[in-house]
Amino acid sequence: MATVREMAQSTDNAPGMPGSDGGVQTQPPSGQPPAGRSTSGRRRRRGIGWAARAELLILIGPALVVFLAFVILPVILAAYYGFFSWNGFGTPTKFVGLRNYFTILTDPAFHEAVGHNFFIVIMSLVLQGPVALVLALLLNRKMRFQSLIRVLIFVPYVISEVVVGIGWSLMLQSEGALNGLLEKLGLGALQADWLADPALAIWTLMAIITWKYVGFAIILFLAGLQGIPDELAEAAAIDGASYWQVQRYIVLPLLGPTIRIWAFLSIIGSLQLFDLVWIIWGQYVSSTAGTSTMATYMVSNGRGAGSYGYGSAVAVVLFLISLAVALVYQRFVLRRDTAGALTHRPTAEPTTDSTTDEGKS
Amino acid sequence: MLLNEENGNHMKATKFLLGSAVVAVGALALSGCSGSGSGDSGDGQVTLTFWQNSTTGDGKAYWEDTIAAFEKENPNVKIEMQSIQNEEMDGKLQTSLNSGEGPDIFMARGGGKLADVVAAGQVMDITDGLTDATKSALKSSLSAFEIDGKNYGVPTAVLPSGIFYASDLFTEAGVDGTPATIDELDDVTAKLKAAGIAPIAVGAKDAWPAAHWYYNFALRACSKEALDKAAESRSFDDKCWLTAGENLEDFLKTKPFNEGFLTTTAQQGAGSSAGLIANHKAAMELMGAWDPGVIADLTPDKKPLPDLAWFPFPEVPGGQGEPGAMMGGVDGFSCWVNAPKECVDFLNFIAEKDNQEAYATAFKTVPASSEAQSAVTDPILKNILDAYSKAPYVVVWLDTLFGQNIGNALNVAVVDMFAGKGTPQGIVDAVNNAAAKS
Repeated sequence: MATVREMAQSTDNAPGMPGSDGGVQTQPPSGQPPAGRSTSGRRRRRGIGWAARAELLILIGPALVVFLAFVILPVILAAYYGFFSWNGFGTPTKFVGLRNYFTILTDPAFHEAVGHNFFIVIMSLVLQGPVALVLALLLNRKMRFQSLIRVLIFVPYVISEVVVGIGWSLMLQSEGALNGLLEKLGLGALQADWLADPALAIWTLMAIITWKYVGFAIILFLAGLQGIPDELAEAAAIDGASYWQVQRYIVLPLLGPTIRIWAFLSIIGSLQLFDLVWIIWGQYVSSTAGTSTMATYMVSNGRGAGSYGYGSAVAVVLFLISLAVALVYQRFVLRRDTAGALTHRPTAEPTTDSTTDEGKS
Repeated sequence: MLLNEENGNHMKATKFLLGSAVVAVGALALSGCSGSGSGDSGDGQVTLTFWQNSTTGDGKAYWEDTIAAFEKENPNVKIEMQSIQNEEMDGKLQTSLNSGEGPDIFMARGGGKLADVVAAGQVMDITDGLTDATKSALKSSLSAFEIDGKNYGVPTAVLPSGIFYASDLFTEAGVDGTPATIDELDDVTAKLKAAGIAPIAVGAKDAWPAAHWYYNFALRACSKEALDKAAESRSFDDKCWLTAGENLEDFLKTKPFNEGFLTTTAQQGAGSSAGLIANHKAAMELMGAWDPGVIADLTPDKKPLPDLAWFPFPEVPGGQGEPGAMMGGVDGFSCWVNAPKECVDFLNFIAEKDNQEAYATAFKTVPASSEAQSAVTDPILKNILDAYSKAPYVVVWLDTLFGQNIGNALNVAVVDMFAGKGTPQGIVDAVNNAAAKS
């Protein structure tokens, strides 16, 4: 899944900014003299010969080239094209300054798309979180058919978005399987235009997203639950805690880091949602049905309209919005999970220490 | 940008060989300027790459046969054909042209889309390369590929639109004859609904099938001058554009379309609008002249729908459009700016009478060459051709005419109106604001 990859990058990148020389600033475990670490660091620097350099070049080189050529360069190019009115033929020549950005930010269709994105962000957390948590707690107990159930729950996540989109759109058509089923069950009154009715479409989308991605949340939570020692629950039980008290006061807090990381993945994925909407509603109907996202807006007004300059500007705006959300989340929610490892601690040892060490030795 | 249908005296195309020799001289002079022919190798052997959109069946076979015939007449030329899925054509062409390795011959549909490629300096001006035979045979449709008085392509087919219907369903609902005015169409839809038949299928998920309704209402509401002017200015200044939207809004109030049309596609599968007609789930569809072939693919036995028939878009009283005017598309081919001169020879070759007749048969369509139109035998196509010949003028699809950027905005605005979210003014605004997003 693309989201996971992008996420991983931003976790690496974003904190890289405040302390790109992060290694030096990492707080050593207490008791260990800082000098030792510093010396070893220096030894490594001093000892780097041509062999080590070649090794670095061979190991990092290809990945770096691919990353620069296919991630960084397109980002820079998009930022560049965003200042042009360009229909994609030849090189862009018509410089329009910030016009594209003004148009985007004042376009009601874009506002709607952003609104849908944030609705999806919040509803994904609200719908998937509790469901996944309950199912994960359930599946973490010893029961029959445990692995079978785990596999079944994870299946929707593994199926390609395209298959899911086509399948659901066929079943949910006005003449589709769901309405047929409702009629056969004598529930004809519940029939609806699941996809085309603007009042329903976004909820239909939420249902499909939940079905598709809840398995991912469950697998993450299960992995988190495996890491919580049984002894804690046992000890609490001996102290007289009920099953629910154990879950509430022991399991849930210890699962915190997992939940926060899952929420982060879910938020970024929701902000970049594209494929399901694109396949089920297509580029023309998604805004009408009220399911357009920033990404579908970008493709239909960029590539679909042959306005590559405008599309690039939308890409930049989408990037900035996602980045802002990611940074805010990291700053306020993920801080205690990543503290020390990725960011400065309030009580971080002064960097002067290590410099002094350098100087002394 | 209007295709004027005039019945002038047409020169016979039998003297093609002589004609093409003249072309060769003219084109030599042309290619002398551009210099960098793509396929010229030293020994006079020329290879042309050729992109078209028939991936299967008779259409693909037609191109294979035609290429073989052309190569036989021109032993020094070799044409490498690539069949490209229609929906991928625009994107692939764009990438290819940007990398400076455009296909020598590629499919084009005239209008603003072609104008954008021409403006980027990627299409060969073939005005001097066309033979007199080609010019006279294609006279009426050639203008679709004309930009600022220069010619940038050769049409192969004209695809006028109108309403296809299943006549058995009309009979079942007690409808006699076909509606000539929009009020009569309202009566027909009412009768069909009363008989429990979905009156009109429309694939609004693909946007353009819905937008074609607006185009046709605009064709009826707007004068030829207003259409010409909008094509030039690429904005909807005339009041008739608003009128067209209001007429469409009134028509939509009668709820004539199939259930769930917003998520209906045009051509994919039995649930598409063409599929609904093919399976008698809906009675009518507004579509271009390619529709009989599409519907035939979607009938249960994959054979042409026996009761399929056609009538032109009804007249709308009070409009400024001339009665009988038609909306339609043109399929054709253009040469890449750096293509070898033999490209023009090939375009002249496909405009030849025999090849146009074979084209009409293979694609089950109306050929662009007026000389080859006698090859049309299918009753539906004859009906279409008849209306086409009588039409005072034929206008290219508005989205093609206005180019991708405005066309896209227009289509989305029309879909909004279909969904009950848009207004006639909204359509006009969408078009007039689209330029800011270009």
